[in-house]
Amino acid sequence: MDLNVEIKRYNPDEDEEPHWESYEVPADPLDSALSLLLHVKWHEDGTLSFRKSCAHGICGSDAMQINGENKLACSVLVQELVDGDGDTITFAPLPSAPVVKDLVIDQSRFFEKYRDVKPWLITDGPAPEREREQSPEEHEVIEDATKCIMCGACTHACPSTWADPDYLGPAAMLKAYRYTFDSRDDGAEERLDVVDSPDGLWKCYTIFNCNEACPKDIDITRWLSALKRKAATSQASTKA
Amino acid sequence: MAVDTRERPPKASSKDAATAEQESRFQRYRIRTGMFAWMMHRLTGVGLVVYLIIHIWGLTALTDPETFNALIAKYHSPIFKVGEFALLVAVAYHAMNGLRIVLIDLLGWSPKQKRLFATLGAVTLLIILVGGWPSIYALGEWLFGPGSMPSLFL
Repeated sequence: MDLNVEIKRYNPDEDEEPHWESYEVPADPLDSALSLLLHVKWHEDGTLSFRKSCAHGICGSDAMQINGENKLACSVLVQELVDGDGDTITFAPLPSAPVVKDLVIDQSRFFEKYRDVKPWLITDGPAPEREREQSPEEHEVIEDATKCIMCGACTHACPSTWADPDYLGPAAMLKAYRYTFDSRDDGAEERLDVVDSPDGLWKCYTIFNCNEACPKDIDITRWLSALKRKAATSQASTKA
Repeated sequence: MAVDTRERPPKASSKDAATAEQESRFQRYRIRTGMFAWMMHRLTGVGLVVYLIIHIWGLTALTDPETFNALIAKYHSPIFKVGEFALLVAVAYHAMNGLRIVLIDLLGWSPKQKRLFATLGAVTLLIILVGGWPSIYALGEWLFGPGSMPSLFL
């Protein structure tokens, strides 16, 4: 079938404003959305820019807004996006992020927020002789959260991020959950200091856009709620 | 305590005409159940604040019996019956969705949030229909003449 592919283009050297351009692209229902972009780049317009790497939903490079929703271009099939011949698929950069060119966003603020929540193991005692052990039951608690590939689909789908660019966002706070609830970690207090703030947990209004956007189907809102309960009941939150 | 002192990139640095449009707090985005519920929650919340201000202001009439009677008489006009009904809709929705958010945040009910939304939606509709019946009744009587409405509980 032939599809009408509309892409939000922006070249900072030439354009004052982003604009939409249309391309006719031959497609199979089982093609990925990413393959449509590759077709445009290889056969129609080589100046089109977008991020991609593994094309198998592992690296998290090609998160973008497809048909009005944040998705991973390589992980969504054409048949999930259109009904048939002549239908339109739209591609835009992730909402509310600064655009570098076309579908490429500036991720620096996204990764700043990631570093803010101290996404590494924090321990009190000396390092053990052997590896730090964790039982399957203990891992079960954080298993879902460890699937995050840092694509940014969730954070840029969140209306709280749109309204407040400094809001930590679901991706960073999911990492905070992943380490805070890790049985081997002792850094809960340090991390709760960061997320228990006006730019943190309390701007999550359980809108569930992050859950809908996540290409790994992580139940993000549920884990952020668990973090909220931890923040509300821990000693650290009674600092006032 | 442990406040991060590293600077975030200043907002203005990357902001030219194009990114300004992109960084807007209003985005075109597909509205699913959760976002719809939240938007309605905001809308009814702001509406209730406006109502409360008007309501409290109306109570200033309490200082004088004559003024108070005149005000209460006004409340029996059809336009206030519509308002009454809208108020009930807003309160019922805001209360039930608030309960839903509390259940999600307190008990971690996230996986069933869509079914939860539908169930509480049904309860809300029931509250609105039963509680709003006097308003609907009064409006019907006014529109179609006395005795035209079935007297269910009234």
